Amino acid sequence: MSEHAQPTYGKYLIIWIWLIALLAAGTFISSLPINKTEAVLLILGISLIKTALVALFYMHLKFERSVPLWVVVVFPFFLVGSVVLLVLSSHLFS
Amino acid sequence: MTHAAETTCTGIPSAKLGMWLFLASEVMFFTGLLGAYIVLRAGLPTWPHPGEELKIQLAALNTFILLSSSMTMALAVAAVHRADRAKAQLFLMLTIGLGTAFLGVKGYEYSLKFAHGHFPGTGIFWDCYFTLTGLHGLHVLAGIIANLWVLSLTFRDDFLKERGHLVEISGLYWHFVDVVWIFLFPLVYLI
Repeated sequence: MSEHAQPTYGKYLIIWIWLIALLAAGTFISSLPINKTEAVLLILGISLIKTALVALFYMHLKFERSVPLWVVVVFPFFLVGSVVLLVLSSHLFS
Repeated sequence: MTHAAETTCTGIPSAKLGMWLFLASEVMFFTGLLGAYIVLRAGLPTWPHPGEELKIQLAALNTFILLSSSMTMALAVAAVHRADRAKAQLFLMLTIGLGTAFLGVKGYEYSLKFAHGHFPGTGIFWDCYFTLTGLHGLHVLAGIIANLWVLSLTFRDDFLKERGHLVEISGLYWHFVDVVWIFLFPLVYLI
């Protein structure tokens, strides 16, 4: 386990409160009579924020200084981005 | 904290590096699944509104449960850092309990679908629903089993000295399963 400064119990609780608030916000937005594209962008944006909170604080990436580890963490997201671009391009140019 | 986690030439403990590499492969696994789901959904002229077919309240409750379990898992790791075995055991048990509750709610949700005649193979919507949530559920089950194994190790005398790092390794997997659900919930139930 990394020997870096770890968040306190209270910090983890605050992150949890944010996560639950964002869950409530995403669920509420889905019930609003707004444009579908706007709703999708907002809800997925909230999901990205929740993911960042879990990864940075609960998975301790915020405190990780190891470059090789970051390479392992970031590399799959290049592939994820490639898949997203391929899916989008096949719909945009078909 | 002290433990016997071996470190690779990268400076990263080998178990931790191994888990991150495994999680990288899992990211690609779920990306393929979600990509297929989005392509299937976008390729059909009509798609049922999830709110009419699925119980959003149950899924939101399950999201609450899984997010809470991530917190208790993080607290278990923090307790190990503080060499507090009793709290580590308590938070691990809470995490296992919450994970089991998640599967219980999911099982109840499935039973409602079965009662209405919705099974895998009864339409592309239900195929996607059962495939995505079922595979995620299997990952939750695997996480519960891993946490039960780690919990059993906490009762050994050498746990804090030799095996404490396993709580963090198991925790990384558990948080990943949570992150997958963070995207499955809106994609399957909300949008």
